[in-house]
Amino acid sequence: MDWNFVFVSILNGVVYGAFLLLTSLGLSLVFGLGRVVNFAHGALYAMGGYALIAVMRGAGAGYWPALVLAPLLVVPVAIAIERATIYPIRHRHDIYTLLVTFGLSFMIIGGIEYLWGTGTTLLKPPPPFTGTVDILGNQYPLYRILAAGVSLLISAGVFAVIQLTPIGLRIRAITDDAGMAEALGVNTKWLLTLVFGCAAGLAAFAGALGAPIFAIHPEMGMNILLDSFLAVILGGLGNLPGTAIGAFVVALTKSIGGGYIADWSLALLFAVVAVALIFRPTGVFGRGRVA
Amino acid sequence: MKTGARTSRASALAAVAAAGLLAVLPFLGAAPFTITLLTEALIFAIWAMSLDLLVGYTGLVTFGHAAAFGLGSYAAGYFAREVTADFLASLLVAQVVVVAVALTIGFVATRVSGVAFAIISLCIAQVLFQVAVAWRSVTEGMDGLVGVPLPKLLGLTVDAGTEFYLLTILIVLAVYVGLSRLVESPFGRTLQAIRTNEDRAAAIGINVRLHKWLAFILSWAIAGIGGTLMVFMKAGTTPMSLHWSESGNVLVMAIFGGLGTLFGPLIGAVAFVFLRDEFTTRFEAWQFAFGLVFVVVVLAFPTGLAGIITHVWRSLWRARS
Repeated sequence: MDWNFVFVSILNGVVYGAFLLLTSLGLSLVFGLGRVVNFAHGALYAMGGYALIAVMRGAGAGYWPALVLAPLLVVPVAIAIERATIYPIRHRHDIYTLLVTFGLSFMIIGGIEYLWGTGTTLLKPPPPFTGTVDILGNQYPLYRILAAGVSLLISAGVFAVIQLTPIGLRIRAITDDAGMAEALGVNTKWLLTLVFGCAAGLAAFAGALGAPIFAIHPEMGMNILLDSFLAVILGGLGNLPGTAIGAFVVALTKSIGGGYIADWSLALLFAVVAVALIFRPTGVFGRGRVA
Repeated sequence: MKTGARTSRASALAAVAAAGLLAVLPFLGAAPFTITLLTEALIFAIWAMSLDLLVGYTGLVTFGHAAAFGLGSYAAGYFAREVTADFLASLLVAQVVVVAVALTIGFVATRVSGVAFAIISLCIAQVLFQVAVAWRSVTEGMDGLVGVPLPKLLGLTVDAGTEFYLLTILIVLAVYVGLSRLVESPFGRTLQAIRTNEDRAAAIGINVRLHKWLAFILSWAIAGIGGTLMVFMKAGTTPMSLHWSESGNVLVMAIFGGLGTLFGPLIGAVAFVFLRDEFTTRFEAWQFAFGLVFVVVVLAFPTGLAGIITHVWRSLWRARS
């Protein structure tokens, strides 16, 4: 067995897991709050990547300011989308919001293809993180380490907001029992709009941060959307610590399994998740909710 | 009761008349390309109607219906290429495979409903997609199954084009009439009771899980018929036929047409194929237009095209009498 190969696979898995964490936290939060299964989350991730390109090309900005600006541009767009399409049908069955976000995903991807074409853009890692770093005899791209670190820091920030701030308290209250929270005077409707916007911002940030690693193309969000779903289901919908574990389980299975049993690893993963959801609808690790 | 029987006979007659009209199109000088599009649309119609049985009548929204269609395609296509191109034999083999898989998958998946069912069905379809990609010795991976011969019916080769189109019309007609009778039957009523309120249905003594399971199997079997036709029409298939974007497409057809009306998904599928053809040739941003139409339909017209048509029809009817 080639241990260097295994080691690099694990590193790749951890890096991808950190990105998956950013996208699946948003997905999980939005579901926990409003029972909205957001199929457009992958498209919002792609929107982040393209917002980055737009800022860099349009305003001639450097990578770092663009990275900060891109998600800030996506947040108001996402808030407008939520107000226009999800807000009016919140009283209807859960399944309608799922269908609407599915249509939105088509619209966003179609819009991107119209504005920027269907081509793939590969950004170079920004200086001074262009080189590689030596980890146990393996040359590993420095930017990946940095990006994973930033992702983990931001995710920690999200956890801190949810656990420590008054707004986080309200979010947890609604996730636990929306009716009771509302009875106690929490404005659930505006909070969902706000959280939807912030979740989109997180996804967009992940898309922009990942641009030098995963490349930018209109469908870039599709795989990460599916993987985020898997992570969120494994962890239990609405359960954030579970989601975090789920993200790394999915990412590591993909990167390590992919090296040995190729595409079978994904088939296995989907099967495991389907079985998990049937027999542990609250998630493998605990207290999320589905039905 | 009596009016119900009369309407269902009237709708069966209307279906036969519509099928007859479609069948003479090639002889009235319709372009071969139009016939190809129509064939594809009618095959999708079978698939969309099968989805309607599950989503519209039983209330189980699935995001993995491509699995049933694609599995039918692979089974029929592989059998036709390796053993015999006989259409009925291939159809039978595909049905056996699809039903066997639906029996097992449906048994576990129908334990849940709502959003959980939607996501589980999505995961299951992705398992089949990944298997189709990974099991190269049988499925030939991403290249897909190619070289499926023209089907034979009772020893005679069914040519692509008009002959295959006529065969498709016959099968669509059979599926439509069969399903219309099924949804009006006590079994169909039971499914609709489950859709309306699962708990109450259980309270009046309906075995909810058994009925959900049966609806699932039936829905997959009918989708498998569509898959069988499609693999012969395209002379092959790829893993993309199992991809979740396809599951989304069939949902679009059924919802756009109008859930819970069989007739709706049928016109939804035809509208889908022709609109997609128009959009892709005329607009650069066809996906955008497509998504927009879908969002507007879900938001403003949850009853779909069929709902709009029935509404207009009823108001005309009232105005006359």
